[in-house]
Amino acid sequence: VASIRFEGRSVQLRSDDTVAAALFRGGVRTFTRSIKHHRPRGLYCLTGDCANCLVNVDGTPAVRSCVTLAEDGMRVRREGGWPSTERDLLAVADRLHPVMPVGFYHKTFIRPRIAWPLAERVIRRATGIGTLPTGRTPGRKPARTAHTDVLVIGAGPAGLAAAGAAAEDGASVLLCDEARIGERLPPGPALERVRALREEVSPNTGITLLERHMAVGVYEGPFVPLVGEREVVHVYPGRVIVATGAVETHPVFAGNDRPGVWLGRGAVRMVAGHGVPIGDRVVVVAGTSEGVDHLRALVDAGANVVAAVIPPGSEPPPRTPLLAADARVASVLGRRGVGSVVLETATGERRIACDALVVSIGTTPRDGLLRMATGLPVVGAGEVVSPGCSLDEAVESGASAAAGSDVAGAAAEAPPRGSAGYVCVCEDVTVHDLETAWREGWRSAEILKRYTTATMGACQGALCARHLASLAERGVSASSRSNGALTTARPPARPVPLEDLAAGVFEVVEKRSALHDRHLAAGGRIDRSGSWMRPYTYGDVSDEYRAVRERVSVMDVGTLGKFLIGGRDAATLVERMFPCNVADLAPMRTRYLLALDEAGYVMDDGLVCALGDGRYYVTSTSGGAEQMDAWLRNWIDRYGLHAHVIDQTAMLGAINVAGPRSRELLERLSDANLGATALPPMGAADVTVAGIRCRALRVGFVGELSFELHHPRGRSAELWDALIGSGGDLGIRPHGLDALDVLRLEKGHVYLGQDTLPDDHPGKLGLSWAVDMTKPDFIGRTSLERMAAFPLERRLAGLTFDSPPQRGAPLLVGDRVVGRITSCASSPALGAPIGLGWIRAVDGAFPTEMRAGTVTATVVATPFYDPKGERQRA
Amino acid sequence: VPDLVRTQASVVVCAAEPVALDRLASVESASVLRAAPDEVLLVGRPQEGDAIVAAATRLVTDADPDAVVLDATDGWTVWTLAGPGRTDAFERLSTLELPADGWVQGRVAGVPAKVVVATDAIHVLFPAMWSEHVRALVWTTCSDLGVHDVAEPQPWRCPTPEGRVTR
Repeated sequence: VASIRFEGRSVQLRSDDTVAAALFRGGVRTFTRSIKHHRPRGLYCLTGDCANCLVNVDGTPAVRSCVTLAEDGMRVRREGGWPSTERDLLAVADRLHPVMPVGFYHKTFIRPRIAWPLAERVIRRATGIGTLPTGRTPGRKPARTAHTDVLVIGAGPAGLAAAGAAAEDGASVLLCDEARIGERLPPGPALERVRALREEVSPNTGITLLERHMAVGVYEGPFVPLVGEREVVHVYPGRVIVATGAVETHPVFAGNDRPGVWLGRGAVRMVAGHGVPIGDRVVVVAGTSEGVDHLRALVDAGANVVAAVIPPGSEPPPRTPLLAADARVASVLGRRGVGSVVLETATGERRIACDALVVSIGTTPRDGLLRMATGLPVVGAGEVVSPGCSLDEAVESGASAAAGSDVAGAAAEAPPRGSAGYVCVCEDVTVHDLETAWREGWRSAEILKRYTTATMGACQGALCARHLASLAERGVSASSRSNGALTTARPPARPVPLEDLAAGVFEVVEKRSALHDRHLAAGGRIDRSGSWMRPYTYGDVSDEYRAVRERVSVMDVGTLGKFLIGGRDAATLVERMFPCNVADLAPMRTRYLLALDEAGYVMDDGLVCALGDGRYYVTSTSGGAEQMDAWLRNWIDRYGLHAHVIDQTAMLGAINVAGPRSRELLERLSDANLGATALPPMGAADVTVAGIRCRALRVGFVGELSFELHHPRGRSAELWDALIGSGGDLGIRPHGLDALDVLRLEKGHVYLGQDTLPDDHPGKLGLSWAVDMTKPDFIGRTSLERMAAFPLERRLAGLTFDSPPQRGAPLLVGDRVVGRITSCASSPALGAPIGLGWIRAVDGAFPTEMRAGTVTATVVATPFYDPKGERQRA
Repeated sequence: VPDLVRTQASVVVCAAEPVALDRLASVESASVLRAAPDEVLLVGRPQEGDAIVAAATRLVTDADPDAVVLDATDGWTVWTLAGPGRTDAFERLSTLELPADGWVQGRVAGVPAKVVVATDAIHVLFPAMWSEHVRALVWTTCSDLGVHDVAEPQPWRCPTPEGRVTR
């Protein structure tokens, strides 16, 4: 026999049992403890709306047991209460209402401040709302995308009718429901109608049916994520029909939260659906025809109804003891469950001994999804817009919604509210609490919500939102049947595991250069550098450094942004885009460029090379390529220029050949004249190296003679192999980012992002030389002019240290922080620690000597290495 | 079960005035992807890049002498989803709505891509630096669909009889 394990014992299962049904049959009556007052809570709605039945299933907390099918071997336990849910010593909190008024936390834990972190921990544990599982890998469900003309959420009478009608009109339809169709309906006319409608919805009608798929929310697009048991479906529909029906109205009276108080649908589902009696003596209070149906279903299923209240003119089941039709529940008495119910009539009160009270006094729209879809092509159908409508009306409403009608029913009447009892069962908020909050001045639904936390629980206001709205509308003293403004509905409409929200989120995207495999083969330590995977070292940073300074080395710089700019306005574009002068740039000459934004702040840097045919070749930093591409295209549009940008970053590889013997190496592989005259510093030439067409740029970041070889990406590996193979006797070895960091620092070159801040203009970085203010216009020029009128208050400076400092360390003069170290390294060339750092002016002058912890920092001029640039110009 | 196939193709990029690019509809044996008013990608069989460049240059430079036509084959990787499960696999990778035929552009596997739909395959063009990322992601994301890696690269086949996808 199939069974579940429940707190050390076995509970047998029957076919179609939910976890809640199995436990209830097994004698469990208290399912949870309320989070503040620790009152026992039992099964109530059985429609997945309230939070009374949350249990831990197989380590997952807060599972709605009333809508979770039980499976053989499940391990179920209750949460909340200490030492146990059944016998909870913390229930003493229920007697402390006078000293725990609404807003208790706001009022009590203000001072001393240090008390709050401790109190928060204690309170969090005391709520008993579950412990998040740790130490297990979250199960990632696969996510898929679905596009459809119409998404119908809810497969009740209205939803099925809407889906059928939309499909008949030729639309593709996706119909979803968080349950199997009809699964949560008690036996009766509604279930029969739903089964009949389902027969009409067959797969060949253009309807895709997704049962047990829960709509989490409705977002702009519209976009509706559906969480299923084994997948998450991201639905992009043309329009949405919400047919989520209604939840039975939550009655508010003293003791309304006791185990044994049931909503009608839940009681019928348990008795008639699962065949489990809800008590020996049952009292039924029905306010609607549906309520009378429930009464009839309970009697037919064998429930012992000892008293019933039905609306005037209704036909009761035979032999049912009736009470006056105006009777209403005043209170429920009992210690752990229902012991008796007190009914109020015009002639007085009557107390009836019973152990179950079933209340069915109307319906409240389950309209969270609809309300969060304002302004989107989303309409409602059925009870969600016309609560209490008949089955025929629901079907008609569905068909109308499918035809595009926004079926707005009469506004739902605010539910009746007694003078006591729990308004928000999830968050333990009573009528008294709300009245107190009202008197304290919190007088709108939104702020009452925030102050009392009503509607903020697992049901997301399904039971209590309209109570709260009516109270906010009419105040505490009015007989509030008028419905006020509801609080804003937001996703998720139903509880959803965090791991399901992550479904379909892709891992961090990694770019790889064409030489990735070569780096791995050479023993490179590969790691992320921005969005690229790059080698930091090949095992010996010192030798990599020495190869550049003394011999020859290669580095993969294919990650640089690379752009071809053409079109008849290409020259105008680059002239206007960048602050350097481009007009006088001779063919096949390059120039350092800064990219400034309109505020004159440095966004990126790179090179511009005039190709001589009216086109320009522009490079950017590796991390700035995508921004540069967008930036160039944006300004072409804004200027209205006839220019084209082709992003060649992915097409071209680039290898920097650097070191005093780099020319010697290249001359072995190329017939081209690479001499200092033919290819001078900042020159460019289209050459063939190892049989591969390359654009050679005489530029470099490392301060040595160097050539950047830009070439077709598909031939990168071939070129790399040729360079390494031919340079063996020259002592060639590749260098990675770690060596580069030292090499560039010795030249005083900045790393954008590491050494810079978002509001750096060229002057602060010492790069004013890269700005030609004689140009009539370029992006950022106006801002630079304006800023030039003010003295620098901060600048990037070269630093030497008397001992190795910590990168990021603050720089101090006395006790005053005047800057920060942005880069530092031990320079082999200088034999001393060097760095770059921000320094602020103190009393109008920049300090020349500072302290970084125990280290003394001295401001020096850069470059640290080869200040005249003779090696680079070799 | 979807197949994951590496497809070899020539990719040529043309940037020119819109009116000049309108003439590219008649390039032989290449699929024409109008990525922007002033940008077209021409996708053809491998080894035909030079021929496509020549044909496209001939067509556009009359109307726009400053047009840029480049063989960009090295910059693109084409992964093809084939087989009966191809749509299921694609739905795991992208929120794009696939046209019945033609092409769309947008994010696939978190990467900007061009997607060409053929009768029996979905070709996805990715910038080359993301090639391995995409392949790994297809495996991770679609493993339960039984995705099958076809070792032998396939040559590009024009997705329509006319060889053109201009949507």
